[in-house]
Amino acid sequence: MSDQKLVLIVEDEPDVSSFLTILLEDNGFKTETAANGRIGMTQAKALHPSLITLDISMPEESGLRMYHDLKMDADLKDIPVAVVTGITPEFKRFIEQHRKLPPPEAYFEKPIDKTEFIDVAKSLTGE
Amino acid sequence: MSAAGTKDAAMQAFLSESLFDELPMGAALIGPDKRVRAVNKRFEDVFGVFRGRICHEALKQTYQPCLSCEADLCLTENQVRVSDEILVDRHGRDIQVSVYYKPIALEKGGKPDHVLILASKLTETKRWKREFDRLFEHVPCYISILDRDLNIVHANGKLERTFGRADGASCYKVYKGRNIPCTDCPAMQTFKDGKEHSSTQEGVTHDGELTRYVVTVSPLSWGPDGVDRVIEISTDVTELHRLEKEVLDNERLVAVGQTVAGLAHTIKNLLMGLEGGMYMVDSGLKKGDEARLERGWDMLQRNFEKTTSMVRDFLSFAKGRVPALVPLNPGDIIDEVIELYVDAAKRQGVKLEHGKTPLPEPASLDREGIEACLTNLLSNGIDAASVREGGGGVVTMSAFDRDGELVFEVKDNGIGMDADVKRRVFTTFFTTKGGEGTGLGLLTTRKIVQEHRGTIEVDTEPGQGSTFRIRLPRNELVKLEEEQQQRNEKAKQYR
Repeated sequence: MSDQKLVLIVEDEPDVSSFLTILLEDNGFKTETAANGRIGMTQAKALHPSLITLDISMPEESGLRMYHDLKMDADLKDIPVAVVTGITPEFKRFIEQHRKLPPPEAYFEKPIDKTEFIDVAKSLTGE
Repeated sequence: MSAAGTKDAAMQAFLSESLFDELPMGAALIGPDKRVRAVNKRFEDVFGVFRGRICHEALKQTYQPCLSCEADLCLTENQVRVSDEILVDRHGRDIQVSVYYKPIALEKGGKPDHVLILASKLTETKRWKREFDRLFEHVPCYISILDRDLNIVHANGKLERTFGRADGASCYKVYKGRNIPCTDCPAMQTFKDGKEHSSTQEGVTHDGELTRYVVTVSPLSWGPDGVDRVIEISTDVTELHRLEKEVLDNERLVAVGQTVAGLAHTIKNLLMGLEGGMYMVDSGLKKGDEARLERGWDMLQRNFEKTTSMVRDFLSFAKGRVPALVPLNPGDIIDEVIELYVDAAKRQGVKLEHGKTPLPEPASLDREGIEACLTNLLSNGIDAASVREGGGGVVTMSAFDRDGELVFEVKDNGIGMDADVKRRVFTTFFTTKGGEGTGLGLLTTRKIVQEHRGTIEVDTEPGQGSTFRIRLPRNELVKLEEEQQQRNEKAKQYR
């Protein structure tokens, strides 16, 4: 189907990345993956996905940096972001400290609720 | 009048008229109204003509009465007083004098109401001696002078107030209540090499309180056989040590908080991996998709293994223990660790080498701990070398002695680390291995090295490989071994 919506999965943990890929593909999405924030930004610019799922704690360029860059980029700031993370306080603190940054469109704590995750992904992409 | 009578009269005349002037010191008589009633010639020479003036005007050139008047006290207590004072001479210069005050009754049998003052100038040497004595007694340190048998020849007031009578007793008895000298005695070292030595020691005060002090020993005098007296100056650091411990405890609490947060993060990722595995097994079964089923099963297995290894690493990290030291040959440990990993390394295309360095002397080490450190470093080295561009990865392990330290070195020619990774490499749960690492390996390594009172460091550049170096000071290893022996002896006593 050519009108399948593309989701960019930014996640360093290979198993989590595979899981999200399969889960999203089983529910009618196309996916691309990036193992860190730097690759994630390049992919976002090139592919302009309908949704980005973003892990926060990654060894190379962190998810916080990528989130900041996305929301400060005029071309990319409207792409909805679903933060999928294991660390709650760090991200909340980051958003509170950066008043100019909007909160993410969706927020999931690992491990995720599959049904809720898919429902939110569909609603954010207008499926 | 007889000849003898004439002599007696002359003596009486001398005593009553001239003696006062012949005294080798300034003398003055102060009346009940504090006015100077009489002075001798020497007094006048130094302080000028002051008969009839108030004593503080005469002696200190001031209209202000003294805060504590020695002459008053002398009369009130009706006894002699001696004090060191600074008076002012007729030229307005300060002079250091020792002043003797004596209550005098002018009428025989009457109540003393005059004060005789005798003021003698202190010579410079005497003044220095007094100042030195004052410094020696009041300086806020313990000072003792020891002979070659470690007996205290002279001790200052603070030492005796804290540890009890010291003169003539051995320093180890006074400071610690021991019957034999301490093994790391800095005084013995100074007697031996004539140099200054310092160390931190624990002693017991005469009240039975444990006290910690930093002692510095310097040579004081030399005899035909070298140094024959040393001076020990000790500063009490008990309070400082307590504060340091408090800071450490606080840091430990913060570290516990970070560790718990890191642990939660790791567990959440593992749960998500397990959740993914279950989803794939479940959906694979439903769809009859064997490939997906297999992938899901692999995911479950992998995450199960990761959980097991994380729990193991975590427990070994959390186990705060004192190293169990046994004499070991450092070269042998390296051979054993290489043997353990040689096949796995080969599979990853990495060659392991035992570096060609002069073999170090045996040392007392915790076998399990040091093996764990070297295994961690070797396994990291193999991972880094295996992804080297163009292959040819090599990890070299060596052990050698340098500047009184036993050094273990693990050097790889792998990908190296940038400044940020280098900075975080020994911190909690930091890993660059994505799902493969728990981030506890280097942290555990550092902890074991610290338990051996050593340090660990890394030299690294991106693309240039990394060299991890464990440095264990030999003298600390000896101390640890002695402490272990003492613990064992104590344990025997309790048994």
